Formats: sequence, C-alpha cells, structure tokens
Amino acid sequence: MESVLTIGFNILSFSSIIVLVVLGLGVIASMMRIFNFAHGEFMLLGGYTAYLFYIWNMPIWLGILVAPFVVAFVGLILERTIIHRFYAAPIVAMLGTYAIGVMIRESVRGLIGGLYHQVPEPLVGFFVIGDISVSKWRAVVILVTILVVSGSYYLLKKTSFGLRIRAALENPELARVSGISTSQIYAATFSFGAGLAGLAGAMMVPLFTLYADMGVRFLIQGFLAVMLGGIGSFEGPVLGGAIIGVLTAGLPHLVNPVLADVLVFVIAIIAVKLKPAGLLSMRRE
Amino acid sequence: MANFDSGTSGGSRIVRRFRVITIIELSMLVVFAFLPLLLSVVWSADDSFFWIVFTTKVLILSLFGLSFDLVWGFGGMLSFGQALFFGGSGYVVAVLARDLDVSSAFIVIPLSVIVGLILALLLAAFLLVARKPPSLIFIALGSLTGAYAAERLARAWYYLGGQNGVSVTHPLTIGNIELYEGVGFYYLAFGFLFFVYLGCRFLVRSQFGLVLAGIRQQEERIKFFGYQVQTYKVIMFTLGGGIAGLAGGLYAFHEGFVWPTLMGPTYSTQAVLYVLFGGVGTLAGALIGVAAIEFATMFLADYFQNIWPIILGGLLLVVVVFRPTGLVGLLVSERERIGSFRWRGNKKEESGNE
Repeated sequence: MESVLTIGFNILSFSSIIVLVVLGLGVIASMMRIFNFAHGEFMLLGGYTAYLFYIWNMPIWLGILVAPFVVAFVGLILERTIIHRFYAAPIVAMLGTYAIGVMIRESVRGLIGGLYHQVPEPLVGFFVIGDISVSKWRAVVILVTILVVSGSYYLLKKTSFGLRIRAALENPELARVSGISTSQIYAATFSFGAGLAGLAGAMMVPLFTLYADMGVRFLIQGFLAVMLGGIGSFEGPVLGGAIIGVLTAGLPHLVNPVLADVLVFVIAIIAVKLKPAGLLSMRRE
Repeated sequence: MANFDSGTSGGSRIVRRFRVITIIELSMLVVFAFLPLLLSVVWSADDSFFWIVFTTKVLILSLFGLSFDLVWGFGGMLSFGQALFFGGSGYVVAVLARDLDVSSAFIVIPLSVIVGLILALLLAAFLLVARKPPSLIFIALGSLTGAYAAERLARAWYYLGGQNGVSVTHPLTIGNIELYEGVGFYYLAFGFLFFVYLGCRFLVRSQFGLVLAGIRQQEERIKFFGYQVQTYKVIMFTLGGGIAGLAGGLYAFHEGFVWPTLMGPTYSTQAVLYVLFGGVGTLAGALIGVAAIEFATMFLADYFQNIWPIILGGLLLVVVVFRPTGLVGLLVSERERIGSFRWRGNKKEESGNE
C-alpha cells in the first residue's frame, strides 16, 4: 500500500513537469499557430542554468528560480529577432525553430560535454504523513505546477490582459483593429512559453539527469500531448500533458521500461490519429 | 505556377532556360563518372583510395537525400523520419549478413529496397490514410516519433547489438566478385545513383509529377478534380522509403556496421539539412546539398571541432529564413527551378477531338 502511494506520488510529480512543458508548447501553438521545435532545448537551457548555479557553488533553488527568467529572456530575444518572421508560415516555423533548437543543443553539448550530469535536490528529505513518506522536492514540484497552472488560468480568464490574449487568439485581425498590439502579445506569449519550459527543465534536473539530448525526448512527448489534448484551448494541453505524464511515469512499473517508453508514443499517436482535433478541441475551424 | 502552358510561342525560351540544371546534372555526371580515374592520376594510391571511399559515402548519402527530396520537395510531406527507412533496412541486411551469411548483392539490394518500401508503406498507411486529410504537423511528428521509437528499441535490444549496433564483416558479393571499399563499390553506388536519379527525373516530370505539383499547390482542388490525393501521397512516400532503404543497405555494407543513431532523429535531420541546403524540390539540389555538406564537414570539422554542429544548425536557420530555395536557387531561375511538365499525348488528343 505504501509503495503504491509512493509510486503514485512519483508519477504525479513527473506528470507535473510534463504539464508545464506542454502548457508552454500549447500556449505558443494555440496563439501563433506555430509549433516550436526548439521547446525541448528551452527546457535544456533551463536545466543548464540550474546546473551552472550548482557548479558555481550558489544555492540551487536560486538557480531554479532564475532559470525561467533567463529562458524567457532568451525566448523574447529570439522572438523579436527571428521567430516573428515565421508566423505566416508554419512549415518555415517548424524548420526554423528546429534549427534554433539544434544550435542551442549543440552549444550546451559543447559546454557540458557529452555526459550525464547530476544536480542534487535543493530540498532534501521527506515529509512523513502517517506511514507514507514523500520526497519534499517532489512535493514542491507538484505545488509549483499547481500554482503556475492556476495562475495562468486566472491570468487568461479573469484579467484584462487575458481578455486581450483571448481576443488575439480568436481573431487576430479584429483584435488589431480594436487597438490590441498582437505583435506585443505574441512576443509576451512566446517568452512566457519559453519561460515555462525553462522552469520545467530546471525543476526536472534534480529529479533526473542533465544531458544534451534530453530535449528531443521531451519535445516529442510534449507535442503528442498538445495534439492529444487539442490546440486552441487552455484545458486541452494541460489534460494531454497529464495523460502523457501519467502514462510515461506509470507504464514502466507495468512493463519493461524501454517497451513502455515506445508504447507511450504508440498509444499517443494512435489516439491523435483517431481524434485529430484533440480530446478537447475548441470545435472551430 | 504560370509556366504550365508549354505553348509553342515560348518553346525556344523554355529550351534556353532549361540549360542550367541540365548543365549542373551533366557536369555532376561527368565528374562522378571519372573521379576515380582523376584521383589516381593526381594523388598517390593511398590518398586516392581515401577519397574514393569518402566519395562513395557521399554517393550513397545522395540516394538518401534524394529520397527525402522526393517526399518533401515533390510529395509535399515533411518526413522527419526518413532515417527510419534508411537505418531500418541497414539493420535488416546487417543482421542477415551476421546470422545467415547473406552477402550476395542480388539478395541484399532488392531486400533493402523492399524493407524500405514496406516500412514506408506501413507508416504512410497509418499517417496519411484518413477521412480528413492529415495536417502537415501530424505527418512530421508521426514520422519523427517513428524514427525516435525505432532508435530507442534498437538501443535496448540485445539481438540488435544494443548501443554498439551490428557490424557487417562480409563484403558485398556479386557472383564470385567481392566488393570491398574502393573503386568497385564506388561504381556500384554510382550506378544505382545514376539509375535512381534518372527514374526520379522521369517521375517528377511525368503526369504523375504534375498531379503532385497540383496537390502541393491546391490539394482541395485536385481532390475535386477526382484524383485520389491520398493514394498519390502514399505512393510518393513509399517510393521515398524504398530509395532510402536502398541507400541504407548500401551504407551498411560500405561502412561495415550499423548503429542505432542511423535510424533516429539525428540522421533524419541530416536528410532535411542536405536537401534544404542544396535546394528543395530540385533533384540536383539534393545531390549538391549532400556533396556540399559532407565535403564541408570533412574539411572544416577538424578546425571547428566543437562548434561545427552549431554552425550546421546556424546554416540551416539561415537557409530557412533567407534562402528557401537553397544553393540551387542561386544558380537557377525560379521558372527553371519549378520546371514544366511533359504531356506526350497532347497533340494526338487535340486532333482526336477535332
């Protein structure tokens, strides 16, 4: 019983990270109608920032706190210089962001070498509730995710900025003639999405390892989750991320880990095939 | 596309415009046909051997590049998993050579093509056939996922050698002749490239190619004309897979081993890079891209060891943003790049109608 709960908790914490990744991807995909193939590398960059703080002998929690802002800043610069050219052309966007991803990945590889790096958890120890003990850091990860998701939801649905975002999403032309600067909103959205990836990467590194190719894996998972949930809504990607996260972390307990890894992709792509518009599509063409 | 009208008035102009690509093709043909001869004159035996082996690799990778160009440049499907067919058939022939001592070219080559065809057909059937046409991103993502999953499996599967891959200790044989790296293998690869290129050249300029061009422009309209759009796409995707399979089989025997990366996203990206750099949608562009990138990697990777992959990424970005037509776009006019389509039955039908 105890081990089942611990496993459940681990699955939950892993799913939280995936939800953060997918939320960032989904926000960008819904808003600008482009798929950011550099998203996995934004995650890598976040993880690398946390790792830098560790080797500079600075508190890791500070690194994890700074990472999303660093990555959001990088995202903002990229958006203003390159990515804003891609909005009219989704294919060019796909290839262009992929190229950016390659550059980030190879730069990080050059900096950390082709090795796997371990970063200790900023909060060591366990909460003991009754006879279950849960890792403090995993609890923090789950808590932060809940805060970020509900914060984003509040921002989107209850504030005037959120209203403008929804307007730009629904009908960019009409939003522009109503005096909403869509280009600013796009820049903010992209930067926000990148920041979420950075946060996810930084929080993930203490739980797993940092290595240069980690982005590719999370990118594919993230995309499948976005498409599974449906583009254009807030709830879709979050739901898709949760499903993919639970599958990814849960299946290895049932079948051989490598097979589980592949199985997640197969299940997800079949689900997307059956429901191309996603589980929670906005039902508008 | 304003140049479908192959009217009589513009005939001479079109002939003149068609020269550049033909010149490129012919000069490549001449260079590659006589390269071993040329090298043996200029360099010592050792040096020329090295360059022949290297150029053989370029020729095989050209087949691989060509396969992606067919699927993306002409079929309009962004296959981010082209390496799945390349590496997949490489693995099959490598394992057969290891376990059953199969090394005859008469088995290996057809088999590698068939494996590529089958893998591509299965993937295409899954990705492309649906009531609603699949989105471009679904095709890209689906093929990428396939390649990634295949690489993961190969990495962990002991029978396939795990991380280390499978080494091919046998040379490729034709009857009693054993083909080792060098001039023999070079001409084998050259021959295949030559015929595959001719086939592709015929295909993309045929009526079949015209339908594909129409699909790239306006898929809906072509569908309303009564064409089975998805069938055309599946055929093109499968053909691309077959060519990639051929390249994979040759590559496995030429390099002497296959390893998991060969099937994964890295090699798939490599194909994308070759073709975009050389010039997408022109067959010659694929070959130019492979040659340019492989030779540049050869010469420059030593000087910029750590940053070379970053430079390649930057190059891809520059091409995508500023030069979507690639290197070929620098040499060839837009009109020639897109080309026109042969319609052999034209006159007959007209006279029949009258």
